[in-house]
Amino acid sequence: MWTFIARRLLQSIVVIFGVTLISFVALQIGGDPTYLFVSERATEEEIAMVREALGFDRPLHVQYLTYLANVVQGEFGNSLSYRQPAMEIVLGALPATIELTIFAMTFAIALAIPLGVFAALYRGTPVDGGIMTVAMFGQSVPGFWLGIMMILFFGLSLGWFPISGHVPFLMPLLEGDFATAFANLPSTLYYLVMPGIAVSFYSLSRNARLVRSSMLEVLGQDYVRTARSKGLNERTVVVHHALRNAWLPVVTMIGLEFGFLLGGVVVIETVFSYPGIGRLVFNAINQRDIPVVQAAVIVLSVVFIALNLIVDLVYARIDPRVKL
Amino acid sequence: MRLFKYLTAAGAAGLLLCTTALATPPEDTLVVGLSADVTTFEPANISSRDNANIARHIFGTLYSIGGDGTVSPDLAENLEISEDGLNYVYTLREGLTCHDGEALTAEDAAYTFNRAKDPANGFTGNTPGFVFSSIGFQSAEALDDRRVQITLAAKNPIAFGLIAEVYIHCKDSYEKMSADEAAGNPVGSGPYKLASWDKGSEVVLEKVGEPAKMQRIVWRIIPEASTRTAELIAGNVDIITNVAPDQIDAINASDIAEVQAIQGTRRMYVGFNLSDAFKAMPGGDAIQDPAVRRALQYAVDVPTICKQLLNFECERATGLVNAVNANKALTPYPYDPDMAEKLLDEAGWPRAEDGTRFTIRFQAGRGRYLNDQNVVLAIAQYLEDVGLKVEVDMMEWASVYVPLLRERNVGPLFFLGSGGALWSPLYDMTDLAKVDAGTNYTHWNDPRWFDRWTDIANAKTPEEQRVIIDEMLKVFYEDGPWLHLYFQPDFYGVSNRVDFVARPDEKVYLFQTGLK
Repeated sequence: MWTFIARRLLQSIVVIFGVTLISFVALQIGGDPTYLFVSERATEEEIAMVREALGFDRPLHVQYLTYLANVVQGEFGNSLSYRQPAMEIVLGALPATIELTIFAMTFAIALAIPLGVFAALYRGTPVDGGIMTVAMFGQSVPGFWLGIMMILFFGLSLGWFPISGHVPFLMPLLEGDFATAFANLPSTLYYLVMPGIAVSFYSLSRNARLVRSSMLEVLGQDYVRTARSKGLNERTVVVHHALRNAWLPVVTMIGLEFGFLLGGVVVIETVFSYPGIGRLVFNAINQRDIPVVQAAVIVLSVVFIALNLIVDLVYARIDPRVKL
Repeated sequence: MRLFKYLTAAGAAGLLLCTTALATPPEDTLVVGLSADVTTFEPANISSRDNANIARHIFGTLYSIGGDGTVSPDLAENLEISEDGLNYVYTLREGLTCHDGEALTAEDAAYTFNRAKDPANGFTGNTPGFVFSSIGFQSAEALDDRRVQITLAAKNPIAFGLIAEVYIHCKDSYEKMSADEAAGNPVGSGPYKLASWDKGSEVVLEKVGEPAKMQRIVWRIIPEASTRTAELIAGNVDIITNVAPDQIDAINASDIAEVQAIQGTRRMYVGFNLSDAFKAMPGGDAIQDPAVRRALQYAVDVPTICKQLLNFECERATGLVNAVNANKALTPYPYDPDMAEKLLDEAGWPRAEDGTRFTIRFQAGRGRYLNDQNVVLAIAQYLEDVGLKVEVDMMEWASVYVPLLRERNVGPLFFLGSGGALWSPLYDMTDLAKVDAGTNYTHWNDPRWFDRWTDIANAKTPEEQRVIIDEMLKVFYEDGPWLHLYFQPDFYGVSNRVDFVARPDEKVYLFQTGLK
């Protein structure tokens, strides 16, 4: 196992290198970003001075290699907009997004599994039809539209949930302020309901269908028929025999889900004015705040790589046939 | 079952605890919903309007500009300008203090200017980038405790107004702070101080002096327009900026808020890029002829664009100066497509067999101005109606259009808005102060305009200056490089509980705003 982990860590360095290179090139495609950081009345001399101060006058490969050399030393540069350390800004926004993503993932999994199981058990009945219709709707409707509709209905018309905003839980927790963190927790969850559901709806729908398919396959197996023949009650057959094996592809999907949700929060964070990393990166791309984008790419890559590793380890634990 | 009941009870209790999230703001607090994030409180790096609106409550200025364009004393009580127009001596009021408790003196004022100019600091905000470039700022010096002298490179008729945009901050505190610290710890002398800043979420200001009606102002960052509107209608915010035209009816139909529509000062125009590089492009040669440009002035139905797409009867433009300061003898070009066709025929661009006179590219950035995409498409259609074949090229604003614009490489037709003011026609005219000015995106170089700037500088009286201005504006009206459109209206959503009055210059100053 340790060899496997070491090998994956070495591979991850290559991955991080690759994503920083791709994001760097992508950000440079739009041309010289200097103009976004000078006044429209700036003279040519002033523009040249700013270009030099920001390092944009150097050849692209020099800019990139300098950046890599600094990253190795733990220096991620200063945000061009905020004029503060880019990594600090990114890490400041990350807890909010993690809260949203954990909420969304928990909601998606907690509902997807029973919905998928029920759909499989009542296959061909209106229960199955209803669940699959909702699932199809969930996979078809754009997240931003769902978010806006939820704001109008649940937020504005009914007044059940806050329309926008965020109350931090993770940030004070990480700072050691446990009293504030746990005092905030009910409000944090309250503010997470609508954006969390908007983010997770697609995932919930997809996973419900996946669980249904997986369960249907397993329920048709001989050992399930044998378990029923032995006189075991249906709950034991489903939970202890069928679901245990139907679980395997779902674990893979769930493991990747976090990374997928992390990438999908941009629009939802904007709709709900949620101050997370998705919105931060979106603004940074628009403003060509290259250090912030690069720092965010590194952070998200590390998170994704770590999750993939955990999924593989868990999978190996669940399925003894899988060898690392 | 017991677990289910417990969870239900806990959930209900949690919801009850959280219902304060939906409450109207307290009576001593004003809540404003902004569309764009705030990035810094370093006074010399502030450049966005939203950022500046907040900062103005924290920092005082020597003079200030009212919503009607009047320039009046603020931190300073008096201004003397030297005979040669190079030295501006401001006398500060007595008893001024900074938020750190120190007295605010002329030394702080001089420090403010010199610090912003110092290239070692690398500031790129409105003060060094726009104000100093525009006025030719050289240096600032404290003559005594209360008098500060600002020295310019040359006489400048709009310096007094532009200097009013510089945020005076406090030397003692800023000398101790690093650049990073200064960005998040503003120390000014305004009636409010920064109480907290949750990046990406909200800024909270607290009252520390006068004039300030409300104890607290909360500026919430709500980028999505429909979310801002929902928050206003729900009663969670008092004022929102940048209301989209399609949401005006929803706000006005609510019992809780209404839309204040105000004629703004931003000049919206279609520019003709007259550079040599564009002459060779399709349509680029045609627009070199002032007669063609004049013909196109009649081709666009500006009132209909305003009414249908902006939900407002905009002030029409006759040039680049806001109507209150414009040449009163000039009237907006009427919508007259027959006249446009006649003039295009006379200019030597008749319709070909396929009905086309010439093809031309029309570039624009998306999502920057009010309903800009539809306005551009409407303008393109009007031009097509008089025989042009228009290739619309809409681009992402920040990272695609702006770099091209700043290189003065958009066109041959391009859509743009330029912020204006009411306090002087010259402020609006300085977009084209020099042929090679960064804001002369059209590369226009008519000497009947550019040579007159010397005359303006040498004019002995305001009346003499006015005559020159009117002559220049006539040239611009007839043969200029802009297709004159409108001054962009601004829409603010305002809760019925507050007595906010919107300004035409996009500034949101809340010193005198309180509850009704």
